[in-house]
Amino acid sequence: MSTFEPRTYSRLSDRSKAKRRRSSIGPNESNKEHRKDTNLRAVIVDSGAYTIKVGLSTDENPTILANCIMKAKSERKRLFIGNQINECRDCSGLYFLLPCERGYITKWDVQKPVWDYVFSKNICPINDNPVIVTQPLFNFKSIQDCMDEIFFEEYEVPSMFRLNPTDLARLKYVEDHNLSDKVPCVIVDTGFSFTHIIPYINGNKYLNGVRRLNVGGKLLTNHLKDIISYRQYNVMEETYVINQVKEDTCYVVKDVKEELKKAAKSGIANDIIRNYVLPDFNNIRRGYIQDPNNTNQKEKEENCQILRLNNERFIVPEILFHPSDIGMKSMGIAEAVVKAIYCCPKDQQENLAKNIVVIGGNCKFPGFKERMYAELRSQLPHIWDINVYQPDDPISYSWKGGKPLLKTPDFKSFLVTKEEYEELGSTIIQQRFNTWMTDNSLVKEEQKKTIEEYRYLDKIKGRTIFGKQENGNSTEIKTYSDTSSSTTMGQENSGSGTPVSLVDEPESTNGSEETSQDSFEQISELDTGINKPVKKNYC
Amino acid sequence: MKLLKRRHRKVMELLESDNYHDDPHADLVMSKKIPKFDDNLEHRSTRTKKKERTAEYYQIKYRKNFQQLVDEDRSEAETNKRVSYMDIQCEESLMPPRHFCAVCGFLGQYSCLSCGTRFCSIRCMDTHADTRCLKWAA
Repeated sequence: MSTFEPRTYSRLSDRSKAKRRRSSIGPNESNKEHRKDTNLRAVIVDSGAYTIKVGLSTDENPTILANCIMKAKSERKRLFIGNQINECRDCSGLYFLLPCERGYITKWDVQKPVWDYVFSKNICPINDNPVIVTQPLFNFKSIQDCMDEIFFEEYEVPSMFRLNPTDLARLKYVEDHNLSDKVPCVIVDTGFSFTHIIPYINGNKYLNGVRRLNVGGKLLTNHLKDIISYRQYNVMEETYVINQVKEDTCYVVKDVKEELKKAAKSGIANDIIRNYVLPDFNNIRRGYIQDPNNTNQKEKEENCQILRLNNERFIVPEILFHPSDIGMKSMGIAEAVVKAIYCCPKDQQENLAKNIVVIGGNCKFPGFKERMYAELRSQLPHIWDINVYQPDDPISYSWKGGKPLLKTPDFKSFLVTKEEYEELGSTIIQQRFNTWMTDNSLVKEEQKKTIEEYRYLDKIKGRTIFGKQENGNSTEIKTYSDTSSSTTMGQENSGSGTPVSLVDEPESTNGSEETSQDSFEQISELDTGINKPVKKNYC
Repeated sequence: MKLLKRRHRKVMELLESDNYHDDPHADLVMSKKIPKFDDNLEHRSTRTKKKERTAEYYQIKYRKNFQQLVDEDRSEAETNKRVSYMDIQCEESLMPPRHFCAVCGFLGQYSCLSCGTRFCSIRCMDTHADTRCLKWAA
């Protein structure tokens, strides 16, 4: 595998590089671009794990359709892609083929037909427009390779740009609120597969502060399915219907214990219980909450199955805030936002708290924003201003960020053309995509810290293990500090935190110091021991 | 303890699964009469040079499961010293876990002697013992 220098160019240098590259292609290119400047159109595709949001940049709203292929029990001769499911008469026991595994595309035999359908005449043909497509944070290389291949070779797009949906959301947020492009903000994207908390500083993702919570809409639906199946009907096969139940009835509470007390009441005193009429796909196509005052419907509902929902309504979304409720060893969404903010540079933390944007389907639970605010308020210093902003359309918000993206000066230099793809290959253009709007730079700051800490460690080590001051101590410090900087990232975050380089290091210094292999093993043991308390210092 | 862990893993797998049941079309014998994906679609005419590739082509070329992708990414991230997928996973919460009755969903302050599942009342205990108690399960 080829190794790259970790390039940390900001957008500015990216631009200049892109310009240089463009000039190598020829003068025609730039002429064409000047002409296009007046009305640049692009196809914007926010390809999520559950829904694809697609449309031309000139459209007001995107077309939202499911990113999956469905098989119905009733119709054995056809498959339903995306919104074709509306043509299906009986949606009971739908079988889903989802292209993504934990948010990352792994099943191309599903994704490809869905994209084919999306870019066909039915939905949104590409027609030689540039394509802006989203990908999850840290999209894996082989997935990006495949995306490159599909878009450039299969769909033959003239040019493409790929970025994270949260980048778009930030652009949209900045534009909507007339903020400066540099304003720090935290984007919380809580979707189908997972929840990402991404702090942006100076317009760049601050990677050390990024957190992922493995709770998403899928998990919530599956959990609801599980508890309903245990308490009432067996609905294990009815993901499609239960997802609708979740969307229609679930909400987020401010205080769980209070709400539980209310839910425990019986009779009219309980205003939480809802009867949900399940669809029978005969008269009722989509389930709904029964209205006790409406007697006209009664007859129709007589033969239907009715689901009685009580504390399920708010216990299920609680998992977002307390994953430990189902035994996940992870912090909740609000706690993770606090953590993410505290991982950022001190001078930015207060500003980050002022601009917290929540997007993604899970925001649609009523009360989500209020709960988020309440939890953040109680966990962050009281002198800080906290603002939680939730757009009216949290699902298509990212897609709408495509418009401000097109308005960005020099946007065209970000685009990777088909010629560039053919000339430079996937690897280089992926570097361009992945480093855009990302910030690795502050890693350096932490490197300094660790160097000091290792020096401190070495001092202890010199004394306690060998019981004498070592002669080669000073040189040792130097080598340790070099390697420690290289492993900062891994150690800092991997949790298991065994300093690999420290264990390996002795081999190089072995010659100068007459120490046996055994004592080095002791060092490594001790290191891990000392390391733990020290690790607490940062973050 | 081992049992608890295994059970938890099983629950998490269930929560992460796409479907509970098996493919209802699995028993279909593929015959030429059954329409393929492409029959639903209009063919694009843009693809000029080469023949359109099938979805299977991409599946075979990029057939990596999730775990392989993560492992690959991790080793690559280590050599390039960058933050990777595994690094951004949330840490464990500082707050103590709450306990809910596994049967009715209200706060459950008692736990099953045989398997540790939480419940809130004798009624729920009985239900639990009759249904999901893992005392006799492997």
